[in-house]
Amino acid sequence: MTPRSSLRPLDVVIRIAIVGLTLGTAYIHSTLGGLLFTLNALGYLVAAVAVVIPLGLAIRFRWFVRLGLMGYAATAIVAWAIQGPYYSTAFIAKGIEVALITLLAVDFARMDGNPVNVIKSELGLLATRLGRRPATGQAGA
Amino acid sequence: MKRILPALALVALAAISAACSSAAAQPVASGPVDPNGPTIVAKNMAFTTSTVEVKAGSNFTLHFDNQDSAPHNVAIFTDSSASQKVSVGEIVAAGKKDQVVPALKAGTYFFRCDVHTNMTGTIVAK
Repeated sequence: MTPRSSLRPLDVVIRIAIVGLTLGTAYIHSTLGGLLFTLNALGYLVAAVAVVIPLGLAIRFRWFVRLGLMGYAATAIVAWAIQGPYYSTAFIAKGIEVALITLLAVDFARMDGNPVNVIKSELGLLATRLGRRPATGQAGA
Repeated sequence: MKRILPALALVALAAISAACSSAAAQPVASGPVDPNGPTIVAKNMAFTTSTVEVKAGSNFTLHFDNQDSAPHNVAIFTDSSASQKVSVGEIVAAGKKDQVVPALKAGTYFFRCDVHTNMTGTIVAK
């Protein structure tokens, strides 16, 4: 699948949902107090902006933002599963994060295609810039 | 991508089911509320009382007063490794909660907030 940069109506809906879910979990974390939760909330806030901001650099590396946010949310889920605490607000936050990861995966598949191919392509481009071997492709918006 | 989605779903389900099983294993005590029981206050992301003395050998009611808007609770463990739970209070935000703690043998116990594990204290049963 070739990465694309134009947005279809469904892509816009998915992107809005991603931003909404990201801001939702950011808000929950911001209410918990303490440095760790506040930093976590700030991380989600920055990610919500990075997912949609129409800046050239952000558009060029949107694939990385999607993967990064998926990893960030997955790390938060695993850390919570290990550490807890297990109460209603935490379950809501984790439910949001599971939905977020799912939507990011769908968005990635629609915009960038296979993540393995994207990473290979990006590594190829990086190698080209470093003067090692030729580029093979480019990721979508 | 078709392989990644089910894998992600499985990881998420495993994490949540592990969390649910841990939550179900928390010890619960019940009984009459003792108005003379000790009080632990949470304020400015810390417990205002670092050491609480209780009578050994009988149930007691712990009065928890959370004066922060952030959620806190009082979870009591046999020691600071926090591996063996004695009593786990409900997590509350900006409110009071009574917690009936089962009789403790004479000794020193560790308590903390489960949400903010840097909030800690000691219960001495005599």
